[in-house]
Amino acid sequence: MMDPSHPTAKPLPRITSDNGPFWEACRRHELLLPWCDACERSHWPPGPVCPFCFGVRTAWRSASGRGRISSWVVVHKEWLPAFRDDLPYNAVQVELEEGVRLTGNVVGVPNEALRVGLPVEVVFDDVTETATLPRFRPTDAAV
Amino acid sequence: MPGPISGKVSIVGIGQSEFGRFLPDSQLGLGAKALRAALADAGLERSDIDGLSLHMGWPLGADYDRIAEVYGLEVDYVHQAWTHGRFVTSTLQHAAMAIATGMAQVVACITAICFTRERQILGGPGDHEGMREQGATHGENPVFGLTSPAAGAAFAMQRYMADYGVTSAELAAVPVALRRHALLNPHALMKTPLTLEAHQASRMIVDPLRLFDCSLVTDGAVVVLLASADRARDLRQRPVQIAGMQGIRSGRSEFIFAPPNLGINQQPVARVTPRERDMAVYRMAGIDRAAIQGFYTYDAFSPLVLFALERFGFCGPGEAARWVQDGRIGPGGDLPVNTSGGLLSEAHVCGWNSIAEMVRQLRGEAGSRQIPSASCLQWGTCWGDSVILRC
Repeated sequence: MMDPSHPTAKPLPRITSDNGPFWEACRRHELLLPWCDACERSHWPPGPVCPFCFGVRTAWRSASGRGRISSWVVVHKEWLPAFRDDLPYNAVQVELEEGVRLTGNVVGVPNEALRVGLPVEVVFDDVTETATLPRFRPTDAAV
Repeated sequence: MPGPISGKVSIVGIGQSEFGRFLPDSQLGLGAKALRAALADAGLERSDIDGLSLHMGWPLGADYDRIAEVYGLEVDYVHQAWTHGRFVTSTLQHAAMAIATGMAQVVACITAICFTRERQILGGPGDHEGMREQGATHGENPVFGLTSPAAGAAFAMQRYMADYGVTSAELAAVPVALRRHALLNPHALMKTPLTLEAHQASRMIVDPLRLFDCSLVTDGAVVVLLASADRARDLRQRPVQIAGMQGIRSGRSEFIFAPPNLGINQQPVARVTPRERDMAVYRMAGIDRAAIQGFYTYDAFSPLVLFALERFGFCGPGEAARWVQDGRIGPGGDLPVNTSGGLLSEAHVCGWNSIAEMVRQLRGEAGSRQIPSASCLQWGTCWGDSVILRC
């Protein structure tokens, strides 16, 4: 959430009862995804039910953290002052091996090298003492 | 199969305020001008209005009860969608359904917005939408620096470009064509021609979208009055009939700013357009797509025009960028699109400037941009809702 006492700070994840385990795991540098025990499928976003079978028997499982960029953008306009110094910065959607797509940023590669299909893997960025964001970097095979 | 609404409900009046940037009038001041103009256009009195269907409200402005209080209305039916472009059709649908079912006789569809005074909300630090539980749904993710709907349109266009080999220079045909329409519309805010070269030289907003791929940020209001077809016959204007409608498509095959199954957010990847279920609007209107003489769509970002054309099957998946070349959607083209200039070149009045334009075209009041013998026009968005208007 936006911290009202620090309007220029970058926003932090808004933790809910649906996504809490995901963000807690990120703090441990572990990527978890919600799975349906009946469908044997992961889904996103995390929610109270499986979107495929509407079942309630969902559980969090460890994910590979590997995937490919399914789309990407580079932000040039300053919408949030907190990101001014980062401009231009990228954001991507990554299709994980488990089938779901997460949004994030790619680090360790110039924006010019971004492309649909680029293999990436998750890395963890401890942005504050209480919040860790998953980001992505090209896999060794990609560079 | 004509439904219970087809041909039974008409648009009987339209009105609009001036469009501009940093206008001195309040949001409700602009709305009052549009409402007065619409009543005069229809030959109705304020007291004739007994229903409201609003496409405005929190956090971008006033809600229905304040509007009724300020304008001195007494109404028995209210529908309110907040200021979110996707709700043009549903706002019209609620008005039409209220009339068709006898819950109201005359419904005013009102949108009034001062976007230039609300910029903080549009992806800035006041972006309540992105920060709410479950976040926003145009691909925003403030944690990673994505706070504007533009990001979602950019994600979709980037994927589309990669899948189909489309270029930014091809995309430019959309804003270039809409600018040509705007130059024929005295109310349009953009007054100078847009060239491919100027588009390509314009600054990047969020790659791959350039400045001229993004809508204007403006102030303005439009009011559209609906009544039964029987009532419409006794009123001042030639009635414009609601011939067919279909609602917003939603589900895991959808992302608001992409054609079905493009592969954005959790969409599966498949080439599925046009889908049979998206052709319902033509069936309700009892026409073939070929009867459509002009197409109107929500052009907040230029790729949305391509995606809408594909969804309704004017061309196949991945073909729209080439299909729109050579003036096909411009003035005098095979399928003129957004003939007032749309959000890209007339003004951003949440799509209602295009609804008003459709009515002018069907009445034959569109001046030098008149579609010859216009009698059948379609509103349809890339998220799948649609309205076919006839006269």
